[in-house]
Amino acid sequence: MTTVGHWEPIVTQIWDTVITPCDCCGQVVAKRLWVVDVDGEEHRFCSTRCEELYRTHVVPQRRAETAT
Amino acid sequence: MAAQDRTAEGIGDGIDPVLLGIINNNFVNICREMGITMTRTAFSPIFNEGLDFSCVLFDRHGNMIGQAEFCPAQLAASLFIVRWTVEELGVDSFEPGDVVLHNDPYRGGAHIPEHSVIRPVFHGGELWGFVANVGHLAEIGGKAVGSFAADATEVFQEGLRIPPVKIVSRDENNLDLWRLIMANHRTPRNTWGDLNAQIGSLRVAERRLLELLDRYGAEFVSQAAEELMDYSERWMRAEIAAIPDGSYEFTDWMEDDGVVDEPVKFHVTVTIDGDRMIVDWTGSSPQVRGPINATYGVTSGAVYNAVFHVTDSSIPKNSGAYRPIHIIAPPGTVTNVVYPGPSVGGNTETHPKLVDMVTGALAPVMRDRVAAAEGASACNFLFGGVHPKTGDYYANYHLEGCGWGAKDYDDGNDCTIVVNGNCRNTPVEIFETRYPLETVEYSLIADSGGAGRHRGGLGTRRIMRVGAGAEVTASALFDRTKGEFRAWGLEGGLPGGYGAILVKRNGDTEFRTFPEVYGTVSASKFTNILLKEGDEIMLDAPGGGGFGDPLERDRDAVARDVAEGIVSPEAARDVYGWDG
Repeated sequence: MTTVGHWEPIVTQIWDTVITPCDCCGQVVAKRLWVVDVDGEEHRFCSTRCEELYRTHVVPQRRAETAT
Repeated sequence: MAAQDRTAEGIGDGIDPVLLGIINNNFVNICREMGITMTRTAFSPIFNEGLDFSCVLFDRHGNMIGQAEFCPAQLAASLFIVRWTVEELGVDSFEPGDVVLHNDPYRGGAHIPEHSVIRPVFHGGELWGFVANVGHLAEIGGKAVGSFAADATEVFQEGLRIPPVKIVSRDENNLDLWRLIMANHRTPRNTWGDLNAQIGSLRVAERRLLELLDRYGAEFVSQAAEELMDYSERWMRAEIAAIPDGSYEFTDWMEDDGVVDEPVKFHVTVTIDGDRMIVDWTGSSPQVRGPINATYGVTSGAVYNAVFHVTDSSIPKNSGAYRPIHIIAPPGTVTNVVYPGPSVGGNTETHPKLVDMVTGALAPVMRDRVAAAEGASACNFLFGGVHPKTGDYYANYHLEGCGWGAKDYDDGNDCTIVVNGNCRNTPVEIFETRYPLETVEYSLIADSGGAGRHRGGLGTRRIMRVGAGAEVTASALFDRTKGEFRAWGLEGGLPGGYGAILVKRNGDTEFRTFPEVYGTVSASKFTNILLKEGDEIMLDAPGGGGFGDPLERDRDAVARDVAEGIVSPEAARDVYGWDG
């Protein structure tokens, strides 16, 4: 299911307290994000597992909601 | 299929199933022994009486491989806490004898009072795994005594926030860090004792784990842990696959957030898609100002908690069991607080409601496994001050048991701590020997269990009086005290009784609400109210919802409830149609 993506490190300063959430599950991500293009939009996930969830659940669900 | 059949069939392309069972029991019992160490050595009643802590084992990759009968909320949060800590610090940063401390709610934690200590376990010079203990320290500073500020609007008011840091390096205490922490807590001696109890439990676990690795070999135990996780995953997938495919929704509310007197909405959609479950909290209220926001760890923990309630309890509880369960919690909502939003009440008041919502959503397709809603309030009562007899400063965090929801096959439990806690309340003797509070009454509340074919569990009433010469600074964080926010019933069962926290000032003749007496915004959530000698406080815990039509309740059961004072004769007649 995983397409071409890449791991991107999260670079923070010592004073940084804002934590990056996953675009799919909302979980905070400590050190690196899985960056991948989905339907022409760049998304940042905590894992390839979340990319799969996004493609197989979130996207179809949104399409269905739009259709109705 | 019986549990034994699953075990025999499901385990085992590799290691002998009996041996796998032995390894799994070793993991569980190491956690149990950690817990015994904790209760026997901690200073505070919240640990040695309340059991508000959890002990867990992890492999070197941050997968949970063992846990025991501790707090479901902490057990789930530990999945995120340990993984976060290992990722943030880097696996290579751990050395033998290190202990990392962490209580950051934005880094996987459940809420700020819960302090995790994590120790790496090395075998033959190689990192094998981690042992961890998550415990709720009763006092960690912040604006409220007992560090449960019900009117907090930022995390900074909730206590001292600690990112993952080494509090012990190669078995040497980092005393500068200890001093900094204890300078910010109101009861530093307890902090010293309780954190050392947690750390001591890690040493016990390390010793036992090393014995296991010596006996069976590190590689073999690692393989066994992997197989156990795969086995748990297969079993959980089979359980989920047995639920009819579809999307099931549920909405519930909290009466207010402690800061703004408005109801807060929670919404969930549970999707069963073959052998995976997706639990999506989209549609819940945006993050609120008050501290009932849930962290991602809390929301995930609530989902896992609910799923474990409706699936086979024999599934070994390790990371494998969690794999088929996917959670979507949009950041910036009440189900996934973002910095610097407050969240201390999310773990106690929100978690149990989220659990009930997941099971409530599944009720139409799992009626024989779900329960009506529970009281779903930990009835948090925090208090502190200078003890008039000793001159020492004290602080305590108290939980009260509420009624649990009835099921299709039985009444709900009476007087049981919320489903996320697995904790115990503080005994009367502890209140009266350690704190200047005399117990006037402690009883079950008649008619607080939601009526039904099976009755909801009863809530409790506790009345305490401030002792001679004492002043007590009190805070509270309750819910289900008004409006339509009582514990809901199922299939015609009625809602449970209201909770309440009331005060009768010395010389008054009746109990009144805190808004009436002190002008607080919320009747159930307030901070730092000064109670004086002779003042009395009443804590009423809410009851659980009923299941089924009350008119269908067994007549002997109604008669027994009346005889025992659980149901009043009036309710028996009017609600149950009893003419005895």
